[in-house]
Formats: sequence, C-alpha cells, structure tokens
Amino acid sequence: MNSDQLEQLKLGDQKLFSQLVRDHHHALIALATPIVGRTEAEEVVQNAWVKAYKAIANFEARSALRTWLSRIVINEAKMQLRSRKREFLFADMGDVDENHDALADRFAENGRWKNSPSNWHVDSPDALLMSSDLERCLQRLLAEIPANQRAVLEMRDSSGIPFDEICNELTISASNARVLLHRARTELFKLVDHYQETGEC
Amino acid sequence: MLSCRAVVQDADRLLAGELTWQRRLALKIHLLMCHHCRRYMRQLRVLIRAVPLMHGRANDEQVSEIMAHIGSSENSEH
Repeated sequence: MNSDQLEQLKLGDQKLFSQLVRDHHHALIALATPIVGRTEAEEVVQNAWVKAYKAIANFEARSALRTWLSRIVINEAKMQLRSRKREFLFADMGDVDENHDALADRFAENGRWKNSPSNWHVDSPDALLMSSDLERCLQRLLAEIPANQRAVLEMRDSSGIPFDEICNELTISASNARVLLHRARTELFKLVDHYQETGEC
Repeated sequence: MLSCRAVVQDADRLLAGELTWQRRLALKIHLLMCHHCRRYMRQLRVLIRAVPLMHGRANDEQVSEIMAHIGSSENSEH
C-alpha cells in the first residue's frame, strides 16, 4: 500500500480496508491460533478487525501494517484468555532443550554436510510459493509443529514483531525464543528441501 | 575453521545481526569456502521472506463477513 492509499485508508476508505482484510486475515488467524487455539482464533481476529477499523485513523506507520494489526490481535487474544481464566496453550512447557537439532542427521560426525541442501532453483518467495502443493504441505506442517514454535515463528517472521517484544508477550527467555524460532525455521526448511528434491511433502 | 553444523546453528543469529564481529567473520570465511552452506543461507533467506506470504489471502466471502461484522458493531454503537 503506497502513502496516498495509506492516507485514504486512515480517512476510512472501505475498499482499502477490505483490501487490508484480504491481505492479512489468514496470517492473523495463524498468529492467534497458537495462543488461543484454532476454534477461538476466528473470533479473536474478528474482534481485532473491529478495533483496527476504529483505530486506523491513528496508525502512525512506525511499524508495518501487518505488525500493527498483529499487536491488536495479540492483545485481543490475551484479553480472551483472561476472560476465560486460561493460560497460553504452551504456558507451562518450561525450558527448551537447546541441544535438540532437527538437521542432526544431515551432518557427518566431523560437522560437515553429509546430506547437503538440494538446489531449490528459486530466488524469490513468490517463486517458492508458486506450487499450490507445496503451500498445502506448509500449511499442514504449520498445523503440526508445537504451539510454542509456531507462536514465535508467526510473531517474528510473519508479523515482524521485534524479538524482545515476543519474549515479553510470551513470557519466555530470549534463549528459549531463539531455539524455538530456529527449530520452526528448520522444520520448514526440511520440508521445502524435501519437496524440491522429490515433489512430495 | 567452523563446521557446517555450527554455521547452520548460528544462521538465524547471523541474519538477525546478533553475532559478535569475531563470530560473524568466522562464518563469513566459512561461507566463502563452502558452497553447501552458501546455498543453505541463500535458501533460508528466501524461506524466511516467504513466511509472511504462506497463509495466502482471504476470499470474497471471508472479507464480506468481516466487513459486515465491522458494520454491525458500528451500528450497535450508534
């Protein structure tokens, strides 16, 4: 969205707001899902859209629109949890095992690649996601990875929320957050690498 | 020299600019010499940039539903 469109959006342009919903709705549901669960994520995001619509005139573009919307969703999700007297889905998972390495079987004992990454033959995100089969595989994987990994991945890589803010929101240590992000990215990498090599999930 | 495994373990922190200059230098030297790790880093960057797009876009029906919800909540306030 360019700066003229942003100004129009802030003035209440319905068409541009619809465009905003179209572009970000699924990502916001994916963000809310590891916090409140899939069933309640839709309701949380629906309420967040109402708040975003009311607050859009005050958007100061100090962060990306996705990041701004994500913060509203996270607040809404936390309010939902409080109103139901519930904790984060992954509140009591404790310390994360930092020695776990999802790519361990790809390395020889000396630490060199034994099974190096295949060549994906893509140089852009759009090219990577051209295959609807791969998109489906990724969606399935995202639904399967542990909620704490997914929460950090969605917040950092999809919503663009700064690392220290993620740690505060999820009340996890920075080292745990880094491990969770690394693990989630590694799972995605393994899936895409396998898909590029075999054409299957 | 660093192992490939160490490069992969530090890849996220390299991309986030969180490594000391000594560690960053050690990784850069490794990357100059190892095409497998260069490929890993290049593809990891593409993958990370693809994450915001992975969820796809809402369809007309979903957009209409959200806009209707916004409209009804506005009306209930007036």
